[in-house]
Amino acid sequence: MKTASFRTEVREQLKHIGQADIIVGIPSFNNAHTIAHVVRAVQAGLAKYFPEHKAVIVNSDGGSIDGTMDVVHSTSIDDFSAILLHHRVEPVSKIAFPYSGIPGKGSAFRTIFEIADEVGAKACVVVDSDLRSITPEWIELLVKPVLDGGYDYVSPLYHRHKFDGTITNSIVYPLTRALYGKRVRQPIGGDFGFSGELARFYLTKDVWETDVARFGIDIWMTTTAIANGFKVTQSFLGAKIHDAKDPGTDLSSMLYQVVSATFALMETYADHWMPIRGSEPVPAFGFEYTVGLEQVNVNTDRMLNVFREGLMNLGDIWRDILGSGDFNEVERLGGLPDLEFHFPVGLWTRVVYDYALAFHKKKLPAEQLIKSMTPLYVGKTASFILQAKDMLQQEADAEIEKLCMEFENNKDYLVNNWK
Amino acid sequence: MEDFLNLILEPLTALFLKFKVFVPNFLAMVVILLIGILLAMLIKRFLVKLLTTINFDSWSDRMGFTKLMRQGDMWSKPSAILGMIVFWLLIIITLMSGLSALQIPAIDQLVNQFFSYIPRLFSAGMILIIGYVLSGFVSRTMLIAATNSGFHYARLLAKAIHTLLLVLILAMVMEQLQIAPSIVLAAFSIIFGGIVFALSIAFGAGGIDAAKRMIDKEAAAEQKGKTEDKIEHI
Repeated sequence: MKTASFRTEVREQLKHIGQADIIVGIPSFNNAHTIAHVVRAVQAGLAKYFPEHKAVIVNSDGGSIDGTMDVVHSTSIDDFSAILLHHRVEPVSKIAFPYSGIPGKGSAFRTIFEIADEVGAKACVVVDSDLRSITPEWIELLVKPVLDGGYDYVSPLYHRHKFDGTITNSIVYPLTRALYGKRVRQPIGGDFGFSGELARFYLTKDVWETDVARFGIDIWMTTTAIANGFKVTQSFLGAKIHDAKDPGTDLSSMLYQVVSATFALMETYADHWMPIRGSEPVPAFGFEYTVGLEQVNVNTDRMLNVFREGLMNLGDIWRDILGSGDFNEVERLGGLPDLEFHFPVGLWTRVVYDYALAFHKKKLPAEQLIKSMTPLYVGKTASFILQAKDMLQQEADAEIEKLCMEFENNKDYLVNNWK
Repeated sequence: MEDFLNLILEPLTALFLKFKVFVPNFLAMVVILLIGILLAMLIKRFLVKLLTTINFDSWSDRMGFTKLMRQGDMWSKPSAILGMIVFWLLIIITLMSGLSALQIPAIDQLVNQFFSYIPRLFSAGMILIIGYVLSGFVSRTMLIAATNSGFHYARLLAKAIHTLLLVLILAMVMEQLQIAPSIVLAAFSIIFGGIVFALSIAFGAGGIDAAKRMIDKEAAAEQKGKTEDKIEHI
C-alpha cells in the first residue's frame, strides 16, 4: 500500500481538523448546479443526527471547470432554525480539492478513504454529487448502522421505477446474489456507508492503478466487503432522483464498465464464491414507504430492432460464446413478432454465465466481448418491459426475484465450466 | 612416352587434388546437414511442447488463425504447423550452410543472396501476422460498435474494412519481399483507389436516393431514441 500524499493545503487542513468521527465523501466532476443541494443535505443531516460527533465533508473533485469546488466552499446552511430546534454550534469542516491519480470515481474514493484513515474516522459515507432527492435522513440511515449497529458496510435501498436500473436488475443483482449468497439489492447504488476499518481495508488492496480507479468502484466496494466477511446491511433511502445523465453516454460503454468490473471480481474471489449455494437476506434499516415516481418512456420497437440487428451481425460471435443450443434459442427469439417477444429467464441466466465464462477463458478481448453482449441485454430489457408494462411494482419485483432464483439454481453450470 | 604419360597423369593428378580438397568439404557438408537436421528435429519437438504448454492453439482459435488455416486446407493443430514451419526453415538454413561448406563460388553467391534475404522474409512474416490480427481486431470492433448503434449495414461495413486492411497488408508484405514492387504499388493504387472511386460514384450518384433514405432513417431513429427513451440502465 502506498502512503497518502496530500497537497500541502489539504495536509494543513487535516492537521487543523485533527481527529474526526465521520467522513462524508462527495466525488464530483462538473456538478456545480447540483452539488450545493447535496452539501446542504449532508450538513443538515450531520447537524440533526450527529451533533455530538466531529464530522468532515470531503469533496474529491476530478478537475471540474464549472466551479464545483467553489460551490462546495461557499455552500452552508445560514439558518439551521428552519430545520432544527437545536443545532450544533461548531460548523462541519469542509475540504474540497482535486484528487490525484488516474481520472475516475475510484481515484476520488481512494482519496476519501485516505482522509478517513488520516483522521481516524469511525464511519464514512459516500454520496453522489448529482443527487436531487437526497435528504438529511440519508446521512442518518447510512451512518447509524455503522456507529451504533456494528455494521461495516451499508448498501442503499431505493424505490425506483420498475423499468429503471435494468443492468442492476437483470445482471448485477442476480449475479452478485447467486455468487456471494447475500441479497444486496443495490450493489452498485453509488451511495454507501462504511466503517473506518473497512476504509482502511480498501486501502490495503492493490487496485488503484487498475480499472477500479476509473470505473467499477461501486461493485468493487460491495463485493470486497461481502467476500472478506465484513458485516453488511442495507438502508432504505426512498427515491433516487438524480441529474439526467449525459445523453452521449453510450449504453455499451456503460455495460462494459459495470459488467467487466463484476466479471473481474469473479476472478479475484473464485475460491470464495464457488462453494456457495443459495442466498440469505441482508438486514435492512429505515422505514419503507412508497413514493411517486416519474414516468419512464421506453421505445421497445427500437430496442427489439437493436436485438435483431445484433442477431444478424454478431451471430458468429454469439454462437461461439453461447454454443449452438442456446444460440438457436436466441435465433428463434429473433423471429418472434414484437408483441410475442419474450426472453426466457433460463436462457438469459445461461447467457450471462456463458459471457462470464468467455471472459474467464479470454475468448475475446474484454471490451469487445462485453460490448457484443449489448443487443442481448437490450433484447432482455425489451422483453421485461413488454412483460411488466401492466404490472404493479410488487409484481415486477416478483419477476426479478424469479430471475434471481434462476441464477441461483443454475449456478452449478457456471461452477462446472469454470476451469 | 614420358610426355604421353604426363599428359594422362596431369589431369588425373589435378582431378585427384581437387577431389582431395572437395572430400573434406563434402564431409563437412554431410556433418553440418546431419547436425542441422538433428537440431531442427529437437527444436521442433521442444517448440511444439512449449506452444502446447502456453495454450498457443486456443490463442490461435481466438485470433482467427485456426480459421484461416482451415480455409487454406491445413487441418493440423496451429502449434504443429508452426513447429513444421520452423523445422523447414531450419532445414533450409542447414542446407544453405552445408552447401556453403563446399566452397563453390556459384553456390556461395546463392547462399549469400539467401541469407541477405532472410531479414526481409522475417519482417514480411511479422507484418503479415500482426497485420492479420490487427485487421481482425479493427473490423470486429467496428462490427460491434456499428451493430450496437443500430446501423443496419454493420456487417458490410466491417467486411469492407477488413478487406481493405488485408489488401493494404498484402501490398506491404509484397513490397517488403521485393516481389515486383512497382507492379504491386500500381496494382494496390488501382485497387484501393478503384474501391474508393466506385463507392463515391455508387453513393454520390447511383445510390443518391438510397443513401438519402438510409441517412434519413438513421437520423429519425436516433432522434426518436433520444426523445423517447428515458430508461436508466444503472
